[in-house]
Amino acid sequence: MHEFSIAEALATQVIKHAPEGARVREVEIRVGVMRGLEPEAMAMSWEAVTADSPLEGSILRMDIQPWAVSCSACGRTWTSNVPFNVCACGNESPSPAGGDELDLISMTIEEDEPSSAGKDDQ
Amino acid sequence: MTQPRTVRVPISERVLEINDDIATQNRARFTDRGIFAVDIIGAPGSGKTAILEATLRAFAGRRKPAVLVGDLTTRRDGDRLARYCDQVVQISTGQGCHLEAGQIRDALAQLDLAAVDILFIENVGNLICPVGFDLGQAAKVGIFSTTEGDDKPGKHPYLVNEADLLLLNKIDLMPYVSFDRSNFEADVRLLNPAVPILGLSATTGEGIDEWLAWLERGTV
Repeated sequence: MHEFSIAEALATQVIKHAPEGARVREVEIRVGVMRGLEPEAMAMSWEAVTADSPLEGSILRMDIQPWAVSCSACGRTWTSNVPFNVCACGNESPSPAGGDELDLISMTIEEDEPSSAGKDDQ
Repeated sequence: MTQPRTVRVPISERVLEINDDIATQNRARFTDRGIFAVDIIGAPGSGKTAILEATLRAFAGRRKPAVLVGDLTTRRDGDRLARYCDQVVQISTGQGCHLEAGQIRDALAQLDLAAVDILFIENVGNLICPVGFDLGQAAKVGIFSTTEGDDKPGKHPYLVNEADLLLLNKIDLMPYVSFDRSNFEADVRLLNPAVPILGLSATTGEGIDEWLAWLERGTV
């Protein structure tokens, strides 16, 4: 179950960014479908990994990215829910161009005092 | 009293950044020493260890191989390979279903790298989890076998997409199992149009020479 290892790595990354005293409410990751991360297993792993830590109780939001496919014949790139796609131009062998993302996108924190993290707020 | 306020902090970095950083350090060590490092990924029973046994036998006296082999438990694979190679380190992953870059870094301390020119990393038997963890290898080799069925590449797209070479083992058993090589190759081509596919049998030795030739061409 690679979800557990990934949850551990993610928790380390989040703690690195969390300002002291801030309560992390939500963590957002972007995951390509190719990674094969099960949302339920990931949520369970996140709960286990964050128990008794500053991240306890935080919600993990997974933004699942579909396959990105590109066609070498006509240059078109598109997203798809399946890896196997025939291009509209007739090319039967377009190549996968994305869907392997595994990125920490953001965290949502709650804090009593404005802190330096607020400067990064968009 | 200050009111609690909620702030969304954009971050945008790789989740496996720590692993990837160690993998980059491992890769630099291999490159500096001219060691060709190969990460071998396949299902339990696909023949990873058997192929390595045949490879080490053939390389005896002409290459300087070392092997890191990962398993949840037991030293069985390490013991099998140690008959053909002086430098074998068994990595016990405990509950881990894959190897991580830090485990490779730690295991390297047990090898005499000056006496190595090719490093085989036999990953834990698993077609899914090991693929996303960079170890610092120069090449990733995926192993499938005819007894697993011809539909496996499509079911494990990440490995097929990431692999630099695919081995199809147990081709000697093709007449006895339900396996259509054209279905297998068609599935692979949709995911990775360029990856070479070599059929072989670790038992009969058929195809092993082409695998060895591929390794000999390997550059760091």
